[in-house]
Amino acid sequence: MTVRIRFFARFRELLGTDIVVDAQKNKGLSDLVKDVAGKNKEGYDAIFDEKGIFREYVILMQNGKRVETSDAPAIRVADGDEIAVFPPVAGG
Amino acid sequence: MSTVKIPGVNCRADTIVSDPVNQVKQMLSRRERERYKRQMMLFGDEGQERLKKANIFIAGAGGLGSPVSIYLAVAGVGILTVVDKDVVEQTNLNRQILHCDRDIGRKKTASAEEKLHAINPDITVKVIDTTIDESNCAQLVGQADGIVDAMDNYPTRYLLNDIALEKNIPLFHGAIRGFYGQATTIIPGKTACLRCIFPSAPPKEVFPVIGVTPGFIGMIQVNEVLRYLLGTGELLANRLLIWDGMTAHAEEIAVVRNPACISCGTGHISKDTTAVKAKKITTGKKK
Repeated sequence: MTVRIRFFARFRELLGTDIVVDAQKNKGLSDLVKDVAGKNKEGYDAIFDEKGIFREYVILMQNGKRVETSDAPAIRVADGDEIAVFPPVAGG
Repeated sequence: MSTVKIPGVNCRADTIVSDPVNQVKQMLSRRERERYKRQMMLFGDEGQERLKKANIFIAGAGGLGSPVSIYLAVAGVGILTVVDKDVVEQTNLNRQILHCDRDIGRKKTASAEEKLHAINPDITVKVIDTTIDESNCAQLVGQADGIVDAMDNYPTRYLLNDIALEKNIPLFHGAIRGFYGQATTIIPGKTACLRCIFPSAPPKEVFPVIGVTPGFIGMIQVNEVLRYLLGTGELLANRLLIWDGMTAHAEEIAVVRNPACISCGTGHISKDTTAVKAKKITTGKKK
């Protein structure tokens, strides 16, 4: 099944965007993002802490709906899902 | 009168009350009619008078605060209150278009006051040279009709968010980094607040930025302020606009209120409760 991951802002600079992943059935949302982010250490470190947990400021969305990052390990992705991962930007 | 459209909510922007003492001042002069002629074709005397009666609080005179204050000034928003604590530095000048080379070393508020007055002498510009903090935020905002978030850090943004909720006035949020930006409009009691959307602040950093990014996001914020004041169009309410300047792509994400939000939901602790708790802690220490 295919899942599209879209990174924004700083995450996009490090990891690219509109990444289409051929995911295994019942793949966890957290693991899916880890797999993709793992291709760039800096990108991975921007999203996950040293324990592999989403950093607290990361915003995660599944098909346009906000997902609590703490729930992400238990959430399964489905064919055609679109996952958005972004950090709030802070400058002014 | 048209209404501001918020999904599920219609709110009129006619809460901006005119001051009878200054009624004469609020009538448009011949010069103002000429100045605003082309935009009054859009919203007439009534709309222009609404703008003239309005008082907008702009938190910051930097990358976002510069274009925001300039365009609110040229639109004829009657009172602009601009707060900033910094002096102009050379590194500001790639984006902070209120200030120029000769202003280096000068207070941003002094520079802003001079430029905005020159841009439009028919409005009132109030500048306050201070740091916005918990002790002064409510007083600084005063009776403003709206707060523009032109800050560069989340702790102050959260303060502005809390004061906007407390005073029931809208907060026009904007933030930028590099070629990326975001904006949303927060209407207390009706939309997600800033903490609902961003419960945790990103780490502090010296952020990279190109001037067009705050220019773009600042224009989104001004567009929101003006349509809120005029009571027309559809606001960025419960919608987070995300701008990617690298691909010239803007998209939006629907946001919803967090029932457990510590600012606007059940997680909120009132100031009174906080004060009581603080007092108890203090008392405990004394013992």
